[in-house]
Amino acid sequence: MRIIDVHTHPIFFGLGRRESEIKQLVTHGRSLGIERMISLGDVLRYGAKPNAAQLTKLNNENGHLQKLHPDYFVGFCYLNPTLGERAVMQEAERCVTKFGFKGIKLEIANNAADACMKHVMKAARTFKLPVLQHSWSTTIIKDRRAQSDPDDTALLARRHPDVSIIMAHLVGIGFRGVLAAKGLPNLYVDTSGAFPEEGLVEYAVEHLGADHVLYGSDLPIRDGAVKIGSVLGTSLSAKVRHQILYANTARLLNLN
Amino acid sequence: MLIDTNVNLGSWPFTFTPERTAAQLVKHLAANGISRALVSHFGAVFQPDPMPSNRTLLASVNPTPALVPVPYVNLCLANWAEQLAECAAAKVCAVKLAPNFHNYKLTDPVVTQFIAALGRTKMRLVINMRFEDERHRYFALNVKGVPVADLSAFLQAHPKLHVLLAGIYRPEVKELAKVCPNFSAEISFCEWHNTLADLLTAIPARRLMLGTGTPMLSTRGEVDKLRLATIPAKARELIGATNATRFFKL
Repeated sequence: MRIIDVHTHPIFFGLGRRESEIKQLVTHGRSLGIERMISLGDVLRYGAKPNAAQLTKLNNENGHLQKLHPDYFVGFCYLNPTLGERAVMQEAERCVTKFGFKGIKLEIANNAADACMKHVMKAARTFKLPVLQHSWSTTIIKDRRAQSDPDDTALLARRHPDVSIIMAHLVGIGFRGVLAAKGLPNLYVDTSGAFPEEGLVEYAVEHLGADHVLYGSDLPIRDGAVKIGSVLGTSLSAKVRHQILYANTARLLNLN
Repeated sequence: MLIDTNVNLGSWPFTFTPERTAAQLVKHLAANGISRALVSHFGAVFQPDPMPSNRTLLASVNPTPALVPVPYVNLCLANWAEQLAECAAAKVCAVKLAPNFHNYKLTDPVVTQFIAALGRTKMRLVINMRFEDERHRYFALNVKGVPVADLSAFLQAHPKLHVLLAGIYRPEVKELAKVCPNFSAEISFCEWHNTLADLLTAIPARRLMLGTGTPMLSTRGEVDKLRLATIPAKARELIGATNATRFFKL
């Protein structure tokens, strides 16, 4: 069984950055069958809206992680869209050039439907990077200035059909989020977020197609064994499970 | 052998939970390595009187040794003592409370009366904290988890009573474990990277029990939380079956 985890935060609020801890994480991941982890960075260490210097620090730390285990970690460049075009383009270029990062990570600096997202989309287009957008259903968590509802992330994908977008947190977007994401070829959903709700992975495959669901855990907030088990415990075929757990992300990020 | 301490029959009205018969449930659990389960019925949580669903539960699972019934008692109803007596007469090993769904607090006087009455039986007590993650529950079902402060006060008021807390979050276990030695926790709503290795830094293995939250949560995922945890084999054995066997006197 081969697995790529598209949604991890190996360093979380500063914890886990000692080399011994990172090594332990890699060993444990490998024991679960995880061949590669996409490291999205310590995105909330400086709050919802990190400034340019803070972003540089976090991305450098992520780059260092990748350098320590180049065969294991794949970095994404963490950006704050509200800092404007110049800052967004500069940091994206720096991360691609210096570290070879393979994607862009967006958190809760703003809503995915905001106008400032056009700068991020320009960066994604310029450097040919997919964008992983934090998403959560706002039926309960109401702060839509920061929280991107699945409707907002779907709108982003609709506005930019030439950019691949990953809507994070299948469990957080829920069944209605799956329906919001339906019919958009450039929009993918990752399986991360919250407890492993029964039936949700199958529902996502039914409505989005097996090639649009990516395995992600949101480690360390979640347990990789639980998340992988929630895919393996479905009634989906071995081929579809392989697509979710490995092949879709490998294809999207050109990982071989 | 694994014993699952948190399973329900019946359906949850706001999601696509598979509604299984007792036989289908046994088959599903066995496919995930679970040979025995403590089972309640969702109907007893939602309906105005828990006993009709409790009786359905007993009738469904009593012929099935792999399923052990745990009926709910609703302390907000005038006849709670009759409910308890009926459960005792049915020789069940434990009863369950759901204070947040049945509209009372663990600090209410009726709870003290109930504990005294329960003490005159041989039944164990399970308190259900929650059934779903409050962040993505059905929007109109605004039921919050049982407050940890209430639980702490309750446990300290009854130091000789040892209860099982079901549906408890990992930070809640850690917080309670600092002050209350008289509870065990079922692990379905505890999650972190390598959950059990993390939990064991705060609470001993003898106070943790496997629970999957079936059918709300993925049974395989929850079993793998224990199966693949990097913890000593002895701890895995305690959490997987031994503790439940002792607690419920199975």
